[in-house]
Amino acid sequence: MSLAQELHYIGPALALFVGAGVVLFADVLSGRRAPRWGLTLAALAVALAWTFVLAMDGDARGEALSGAVRVDAFSIYFAFLLVGVTLAVVLCAKRWADSIEQGAEFYGLLLISAASMVLLAQGNDLITIFVALETTSIAQFIMAGLARTDRSAEAGLKYLLTGSVAAAVLLYGFAFLFGMAGSTSLPVVAEYVASAPESGRLPLLLAFVFIIGGFGYKMALAPFHAWVPDVYQGAPSIVGSFLSVASKAAGFAVALRVFYTGLGGGDSFMAEDWAIFVAVIAGLSMIFGNTGALLQTNAKRLLGYSSVAQAGNVAVGFAAVAAGSTIGPSGVLFFLGTYAVTNLGAFIAVHVVAERLGTEEIADYAGLSRRSPALAAVLSLCLISLTGIPPTAGFIAKVYIFNAAVQTGHDWLVVLVAVAVVNTAISAFYYLRWVRTMWMDDPVEETRFQPAGAVQVVLLLSGFGVLLFGVWPGPLINAARSAAETLSIL
Amino acid sequence: MLTTFLLLPLAGAIMAIFLPAERERDARWVALFFTLLAFIVSVIIFVRFDTAAEGYQFVESFEWIAAGEAGFSIQYLVGVDGLSAPMVLLLGLLSLVGVLISWNIDLKPKQYFAWLLFLETAVAGVFISLDLIQFFLFWELELLPMFMLISQWGSGRRLYSATKFLLYTLAGSAFMLLGFLLLGFSAGTFNMAELAASPVTDAIVPMAIVFWAITLAFLVKLPVVPVHTWLPDAHTDAPTAVSVMLAGVLLKMGGYGLLRISLSLMPEQAQEFKVILAGIAGFSVLWGAVITLRQTDLKRLVAYSSVSHMGYVLLGAAAMTDVGLSGAALQMFTHGTITGLLFVMVGAIYDRTHTREIAKMSGLMHQMPLIGIVFVIAGLASLGLPSMSGFVAELTTFLGALQAHPAATIAAIFGVVLSAGYILWTVQRIFHGPRAPEWEHLEDARNWPELVAMGVLVISIMAVGIYPSILTNAVESGIAPIAAIVGAVA
Amino acid sequence: MAQADALYVDYLPVLLAAIVGFVLVFSALIGSRLLAPFSQEREKGTTYECGMLPLQRASTNFGMRFYLYAILFVVFDVEAVFIFPWALSFMGIGQFAYWSMVVFIGILGLGLGYAWKKGALQWR
Repeated sequence: MSLAQELHYIGPALALFVGAGVVLFADVLSGRRAPRWGLTLAALAVALAWTFVLAMDGDARGEALSGAVRVDAFSIYFAFLLVGVTLAVVLCAKRWADSIEQGAEFYGLLLISAASMVLLAQGNDLITIFVALETTSIAQFIMAGLARTDRSAEAGLKYLLTGSVAAAVLLYGFAFLFGMAGSTSLPVVAEYVASAPESGRLPLLLAFVFIIGGFGYKMALAPFHAWVPDVYQGAPSIVGSFLSVASKAAGFAVALRVFYTGLGGGDSFMAEDWAIFVAVIAGLSMIFGNTGALLQTNAKRLLGYSSVAQAGNVAVGFAAVAAGSTIGPSGVLFFLGTYAVTNLGAFIAVHVVAERLGTEEIADYAGLSRRSPALAAVLSLCLISLTGIPPTAGFIAKVYIFNAAVQTGHDWLVVLVAVAVVNTAISAFYYLRWVRTMWMDDPVEETRFQPAGAVQVVLLLSGFGVLLFGVWPGPLINAARSAAETLSIL
Repeated sequence: MLTTFLLLPLAGAIMAIFLPAERERDARWVALFFTLLAFIVSVIIFVRFDTAAEGYQFVESFEWIAAGEAGFSIQYLVGVDGLSAPMVLLLGLLSLVGVLISWNIDLKPKQYFAWLLFLETAVAGVFISLDLIQFFLFWELELLPMFMLISQWGSGRRLYSATKFLLYTLAGSAFMLLGFLLLGFSAGTFNMAELAASPVTDAIVPMAIVFWAITLAFLVKLPVVPVHTWLPDAHTDAPTAVSVMLAGVLLKMGGYGLLRISLSLMPEQAQEFKVILAGIAGFSVLWGAVITLRQTDLKRLVAYSSVSHMGYVLLGAAAMTDVGLSGAALQMFTHGTITGLLFVMVGAIYDRTHTREIAKMSGLMHQMPLIGIVFVIAGLASLGLPSMSGFVAELTTFLGALQAHPAATIAAIFGVVLSAGYILWTVQRIFHGPRAPEWEHLEDARNWPELVAMGVLVISIMAVGIYPSILTNAVESGIAPIAAIVGAVA
Repeated sequence: MAQADALYVDYLPVLLAAIVGFVLVFSALIGSRLLAPFSQEREKGTTYECGMLPLQRASTNFGMRFYLYAILFVVFDVEAVFIFPWALSFMGIGQFAYWSMVVFIGILGLGLGYAWKKGALQWR
């Protein structure tokens, strides 16, 4: 394979990395009084990355860079998702980034983080995965602390400390795998697991527990979720939107990749042990997330808890995957796709409100429908979708995932789905209370406001996406399915 | 044809919402036009419905989400039989009535009529869906418009009532989804016709759990004691048109689901638990009637009488004979028209007196003879006077149920006595008695929308009462296969 | 079978060492607690019986500059970590490895330049 071809395989990540460098140096070289090129350059880099993603052949399948990364429909699906989210975040960040001293640094960090996530979804080697995970995490730690407030600093520090522990735990799990398989390459590990003896069960299980612990932190799964509400609340809201969507999607992507390509997926001899473990985590996440969200008054904190609960929903699909469901992987991918659209819309809306009204309290959303009808409509749609009420994407996604879990034919997964549906009903309480506040309560003041043009486009697109995937989910399901297929074939 | 019926109100809703702001009052004309069209379509469906033919008619289908190798499929599949055809007619009729009696809505009329039309679409979907997932989708779809309508245009503790309604329904339907998924997994299809042809006898979990998971949702919706408490609240605080829709068609979703899904798809379990169902029914009828007797709020009184009267539906269903089931289906239709009319009248009285306290009203017959007479007609129909439609339905129900459940039936017959008591007593307290000076200024019903609304309902009540076979022929053709299914396992 | 078992066997000494270590330390601590005489005087609680009294708490804020320097040091540190093995096997791995290292050092150099330009090397 020629070098050009190899570079083409990591094109999106490369474009983002180079873009980050260009943004940073443009800032340094242009001096203080020069115009800020950050937004333009960053947007260009992301657009270029997206072009690379789109230019990739959907049927391409292979390894590059001596087996460090892998290219297949799965990685392209996630690259598309992650780069798309990054583009949206870049477009919405202008006002905030202009207001802080380190605007250019923010764009740079955002691009670095996004690039590493794309690599993460492509990772084919434990070392690549770990390095990518750390790179994206460190960039996120800094972004979380970028605002010069105590809360933001606390968020950054808390994120850093818990993140370090999680990284250590993950590394420990990787060390087990390496110790047994004698290689960090996922396919080699998979070979070992496929032929592993019964006595390998305990160390494999330990490895799995540690790895899920490490990834669970990224995916915001309970009991590794304690940082989520604090960081989401403390971090600048635009950073929160990036964390809650891209970071979580990347976490699930790499977890699926390691599980399938590295641990043999649902065919493995210990798949059921893993499935039960994931099922417990999924149940805990939904319960902790939803009960935690019930009494929140801060919009971002509520979204933080809700994000834990949503991660639990995805984990239901993950458990189904581990239990051997054939439709599970596509369910997880589809859910993540719809979730990205939905949560991005919700978080950006919160960001706009925080910026314009200077408040994050849900009570202050009173009468938003009169002050900014389009904004309120999109936020409501997103919240309804998060609840899982038709005709939104969230409904289809939930039914899809729950169906996958039931289809495995395990009665304990039925119990898990029962927990999940009860949680859906609980979640309706806090999501719809928020919707109610926006539409029914009287506003404190009547002044109308409108988000900036680019932000409006992003909001409308996400609102439109929520409806579109709720009524006509076929294309996204097909994409998710073909992506999942490349995953399950070794 | 059915798809047209489904989409007409939706089209109306979209058109209403996009009316220019200065012409927002014209939303009512849009709504009237589209509900009238939908009503005409429903009449055509009912008239062209062939009572001699077997199976579903007017079937339309397409693959909504195609099933791949590893994916799940949702069919769009609609059709009517003798059970659902009258429901479609009822829905068309009551939606029209609902628009007519909302003629003078001033508060955000565009949104109001849009939600009302959206509600019609959602409920229509429930009655004509022949696929379980699709059924569930529409079942949940109805929540949103109801929530919005009650909480924005309601009165009193409207937020509390709307939330209560939502949470009760969501909690019930959460388990319904689980039950559907289990059924679908065991049978390999979500198609109701196929499921009814070969009922599932074995699932991953005991079938009794599946049965109750699904049936509970219907019992909450019906509603029966002790899960009925959302109904009086929702009714009391809802605007008149929404009360009419709620009592007229939304409660019927519960009864319809009971017959169409609980009995037809799980006949063995239905037979097994029929004594429990009958017990709940008898208790519901009696308890509902007793509570009704001591209501002081006119609207609440009618609401509680609904609880009592919907108990007949469950009783008829629990009889599991074709006479009993026919009674249940008839009762659903007649209760829809009668209680619909009662709520129209309550609304008419409230519009004039601005109070619902029975104790404050007296001698209203002097000021508004027409309203009084129509109220008396509705009341008499409600207590089951011969030559009114209520009589036909109740008699059929009792005839069918007496043999199977003598105790519950006798309790229910006693409920009829009580209902005669509260209806007549109410009429006496409100319309008779001394002429009160404070009500001298009241005017009788005069504007055309109100008159038309009352007229159609009175005609339909009388027509079915005097010449029942316009309805019974269709109902019996729909009931026969269900009775055959449950009879086969007896 | 053998591989996984060997893993346990290989780590057995580590486990033993850990246990022995714990036992030694704890027995020493507990032993001194039981055997040694203790004085409860006030002076005993001061920092050092014959030294100066501390002026303030030991945990104070250090200047951020120290951290910056520490981080910049890591740049060179990591560079060294990678360059040593590269240099040792340079003859065997050829041109590609050479250019890889050039790119790597280039990137690190860019990073240093960025920090320089940002004023991180200025002691302010």
